[in-house]
Amino acid sequence: MKGLIIKDIMCLKKQLTTFVYVISGVVVISILYVLSSRFGNLAEVGKVLLDENNNMTQVDVKNLGSMVLIMSMLIPIVSVGDMVNVFIADGKAGFFKVSASLPVSMKKRMLSRFLTIYALFAIGATVDIVLAMVLSSLTDIMGFGSFLGIIVSSASLLSIYSAFLILYCVILGYGKEQYAQYFSLLTIALSFVIIKFKSVKFVIIHVLGDGVGFDSSVFWKPLDYFRQKGYVFLLIALFVSVFSYCLSLYFAERKRGVI
Amino acid sequence: MDEVKNVIELKNVTKDYGDFKLDNVSFAVPEGTVCGFIGQNGAGKTTTINLILDVIKRDSGEITLFGQPVGKETAYLREDVGVVFDEMGFHEFMTGRDINIMMKNIYKNWDEDAFFDYLKKFSLPSKKKCGAFSRGMRMKLQIAAALSHHAKLLVMDEPTSGLDPIVRNEMINIFREFVVEEDHTILLSSHITSDLEKIADEVVFINAGKIVLAGNKDEILEKHGILKCRKDDASRVSDSLIVHSEVSDYGAEILVNDRHTAEKLYPGMVIENAPLEDIMIHYVNAKR
Repeated sequence: MKGLIIKDIMCLKKQLTTFVYVISGVVVISILYVLSSRFGNLAEVGKVLLDENNNMTQVDVKNLGSMVLIMSMLIPIVSVGDMVNVFIADGKAGFFKVSASLPVSMKKRMLSRFLTIYALFAIGATVDIVLAMVLSSLTDIMGFGSFLGIIVSSASLLSIYSAFLILYCVILGYGKEQYAQYFSLLTIALSFVIIKFKSVKFVIIHVLGDGVGFDSSVFWKPLDYFRQKGYVFLLIALFVSVFSYCLSLYFAERKRGVI
Repeated sequence: MDEVKNVIELKNVTKDYGDFKLDNVSFAVPEGTVCGFIGQNGAGKTTTINLILDVIKRDSGEITLFGQPVGKETAYLREDVGVVFDEMGFHEFMTGRDINIMMKNIYKNWDEDAFFDYLKKFSLPSKKKCGAFSRGMRMKLQIAAALSHHAKLLVMDEPTSGLDPIVRNEMINIFREFVVEEDHTILLSSHITSDLEKIADEVVFINAGKIVLAGNKDEILEKHGILKCRKDDASRVSDSLIVHSEVSDYGAEILVNDRHTAEKLYPGMVIENAPLEDIMIHYVNAKR
């Protein structure tokens, strides 16, 4: 099984080479962000937003700034874990025949694919945690706990996406990886809308409506949730991964020759 | 006398694809032999091999490898099986070294030194991406990988097709070296019967998803013969002896399934040795 994980990581070698540049870029962006929010244009924008008569509060400005930083910080996790490339490479080479002839059971072959994702997310998350430690100790943007919460939540969300991606790749077979990506995103989006229907409806009505009675703090609720409830996402990710693993295994056993 | 052990055994194996059916396939490959699995393209050779390796699921029947039934929980049996497919299967970006890293973390008996020795022997550069290899080199790379975990059984699907005669001959010599060990067995599928005539001990002939002929190669060659006679004399030959006949204005060519009986019954007629290729062609045409 270890050999198959190594092979998957070899398939992502190009992606991992890019990863070095991604990390360098993120570090540079973070430094520029910190400097700009203190002394540069971002600080100016913050002042202007507060001065203008648009109901923006100090919290809104700070959260807006945090969002920019968070987005750039998530790049390392996003950039390592795209399993689609592994499926595309396997399909192109016809590796499923080789893997089926190896002394590795289907259970282990499937498990190796999931373990590859988590190994890669662990690398991305480690980079982010180091970055969060530096940023939280040098600035007052966010505490380390909040940073950690966001990293755990994001890595969990992405592993949910990857778990669905593997399932759809197995169901659809080689050559249809793009559809698997669409279906995974659609599944996550639909699940979110169904679970949080009331909140989504509330936000849509007020954004499309006249905005009367709308409290801007509603916008920041997801951010707060991300910061504080990382463990919830982690639990959901674990559940989805187990579910996806079992279902993928079921389909892989039935279809054979897809992994 | 020692009882013959079968390394591979198929009993009434069926796989239905709708437009193609592998129908009640039964045969066995005894230990220590080279079994040639012949048949024209699309006859069901690859499907049978995929079933033996559990790459695809059978609809019914039994398959055993080393006496153990092939199934979900028997992946460990493949520890002793080396496989060579008609297409390489390794990723094109992989080098010999990459394959070594992967395989040594998969096979318990992976022999790194043996693998690099084979690469050297086959003149394969270990640092070059295998995507840049020729077809012959790709097949050799697969063979190197298949031989480097001390497999007892080699299963090969058309390993020599598309290769020039020199490389094919080299490969046959490699296979010969492999079966020097008493407990080493080869199942070699091919439609190039001349290769099999050189190396095979046993022959299994499949046509349109059905086993037409199976047994010892020498016995099969000994039993069959091409009877050549005039067009008018062809009708004298007993139907029970005829596998297939080709009659033209110039004469008749009949594949007989019992050469010695035919020689006794028709002393005036010429009966020649039938090479595997002719036997295969006549059996295929007989089914049409």
